[in-house]
Amino acid sequence: MADHNPDGDPTPRTLLRRVLDTADPRTPRRPRSARSGAQRALLERASSRRLSGQTKTIAKGRSRGARSIGRSTHVQARGHLEEQTPRTLLKNILLTAPESSILMPESVVKPVPAPQVVQPSRRESSRGSLELQLPELEPSTTLAPGLLAPGRRKQKLRLSMFQQGVDQGLPLSREPQGNADASSLTSSLNLTFATPLQPQSVQRPGLARRPPARRAVDVGAFLRDLRDTSLAPPNIVLEDTQPFSQPTVGSPVYHSLPCTPHTGAEDAEQAAGRRTQSSGPGLQNNSPGKPAQFLAGEAEEVNAFALGFLSTSSAVSGEDEVEPLPDGVEEAEKKMEEEGVSVSEMEATGAQGPSRAEEPKGHTQVTEAEGSQGTAEAEGPGASSGDEDASSKAASPESASSTPESLQARQHHQFPEPAPPPGAAVLSSEPAEPLLVRHPPRPRTTGPRPRQDPHKAGLSHYVKLFSFFAKMPMERKALEMVEKCLDKYFQHLCDDLEVFAAHAGRKTVKPEDLELLMRRQGLVTDQVSLHVLVERHLPLEYRQLLIPCAYSGNSVFPAQ
Amino acid sequence: MALSTIVSQKKQIKRKAPRGFLKRVFKRQKPQLRLEKSGDLLVHLNCLLFVHRLAEESRTNACESKCRVINKEHVLAAAKVTSKEEQRLEVKEYILESYYDAFFWAVTDHKDFFTHQFGIIKYWL
Repeated sequence: MADHNPDGDPTPRTLLRRVLDTADPRTPRRPRSARSGAQRALLERASSRRLSGQTKTIAKGRSRGARSIGRSTHVQARGHLEEQTPRTLLKNILLTAPESSILMPESVVKPVPAPQVVQPSRRESSRGSLELQLPELEPSTTLAPGLLAPGRRKQKLRLSMFQQGVDQGLPLSREPQGNADASSLTSSLNLTFATPLQPQSVQRPGLARRPPARRAVDVGAFLRDLRDTSLAPPNIVLEDTQPFSQPTVGSPVYHSLPCTPHTGAEDAEQAAGRRTQSSGPGLQNNSPGKPAQFLAGEAEEVNAFALGFLSTSSAVSGEDEVEPLPDGVEEAEKKMEEEGVSVSEMEATGAQGPSRAEEPKGHTQVTEAEGSQGTAEAEGPGASSGDEDASSKAASPESASSTPESLQARQHHQFPEPAPPPGAAVLSSEPAEPLLVRHPPRPRTTGPRPRQDPHKAGLSHYVKLFSFFAKMPMERKALEMVEKCLDKYFQHLCDDLEVFAAHAGRKTVKPEDLELLMRRQGLVTDQVSLHVLVERHLPLEYRQLLIPCAYSGNSVFPAQ
Repeated sequence: MALSTIVSQKKQIKRKAPRGFLKRVFKRQKPQLRLEKSGDLLVHLNCLLFVHRLAEESRTNACESKCRVINKEHVLAAAKVTSKEEQRLEVKEYILESYYDAFFWAVTDHKDFFTHQFGIIKYWL
């Protein structure tokens, strides 16, 4: 309900309850009056702790009774209220507590004369005003504001809307407060004054927490990317369409260093720290070839990149690759303006060239570049935040992060490490490996990984047990062999269990089937029963689950 | 789950059963079947015993070949033996069982069984 909102004080519900309690001096449930006073006190303290649901129900349930009680207490507090109905009481409450009232004090005030149906809504709306009301209702009003204020702070987070309403209601409520207590008013006013400080921060708690600085950076990167992309949009489309073409092709290329000099310009922002590290070694590889390129960097990405490619390609020793590289480079140059996807292409091409002689360089390079871009972009998100990352991202997939890393590093000052020579490729692969480590989740295909890893992880548990039981050092190949044996064993196990369950005419495998299986394996004999084995080999917690045991109360667990 | 006590072992072994993994494996293999609640614990027990046997066997093989390290071949041979043993046992059991059954039913009939019992009782009485 709109009216239902928290006051800084004890929950509105509690307040409302108190209001209700205090608001019904006339209802027949007089005997509760004694309780009402205690209730009120309790409400004040416990309100904040009570659960909303409880209070609501209780409030509603007790509304009737509370009314009477409230009235009685209220009467005590304010003598002139005796003849008033609950409605009038609530109305007074609302009037006197403009700030705390929930959003629409006027609306609440108006329906005062309305039928009782309105009262419950009013009650809720007056929850906020409850705080204010309390002071007026109870003689211990002096305490109320103090209590209310801290209580409000507790709920300041929820006050945003409420505060607005309160502020709005303040001027409105003043008018109808003909009979409102000045003290209550002031107390409420004080409360309201106190609250405005908080709501401002409260009003947008989510936004307050966001780091604005990040936005600025992203914007800058975004603009840069826009610039790049605007130049060659079509290429992006092309590149994006082949998200996976690269993975297969690019994987071998992964050694080749990324050559995204031009992305470097974009990626200047990106944290090149680690990249620089990776690129450092790469740089060294390529340094002879492209010191100038490194310097050129952003502005002449294309040229430098092409040069870099050429130089690296030539330096590398893959003569064949040089040719395809230039082709790829040219293509990349055209697309240079793009988000650096082309850069990734170039990188891909460059990387591919040196690393992969088998593949049709020109074609694969292009495809790889595109694919890498696609993949890079797909994977990129993790790597970098800006568009700059896109290019680097594209590179990363193929060169397994070595490219993107180097790209990013390059971007700063150096030029991308164009496909380094095969020797350099090897070297680059080394830096790539640590980069790879950094970006482990850059699989060519996401499918197999999740399927295999958990399976291997589960099997590794038994492999460790194997090595534990063997009590002797083991070779790695032996462990792999154990894994295969376990695989086969599990298959046999499942087949056997299926047969047993089918034999029993069941579709669920029960422990009896397991026992039969172990019997057939010779583990369970007439001398050695299943329970003995369970006790021997399983920990206590599992034993308790498997072996029925009698407990107190003539109960057996697990039940049979 | 409780960790195993360190009994002359440098590393601790977790005795926890990978219940989720077992359930998943079973589901993958036989999606049409269901596994009961504590069934996977017994499967784990079975795996434990299997691995135990395998380890013992491969250890024996390694010791026989006087190697300090367990090799692939040892493990392979152990696996073969273990599976053969299981098959042999199963077959043997099956044969024995069928033999006993056949013998029993050949020797006695249902109706004869009871009269025979009564005869004994009568005799003693």
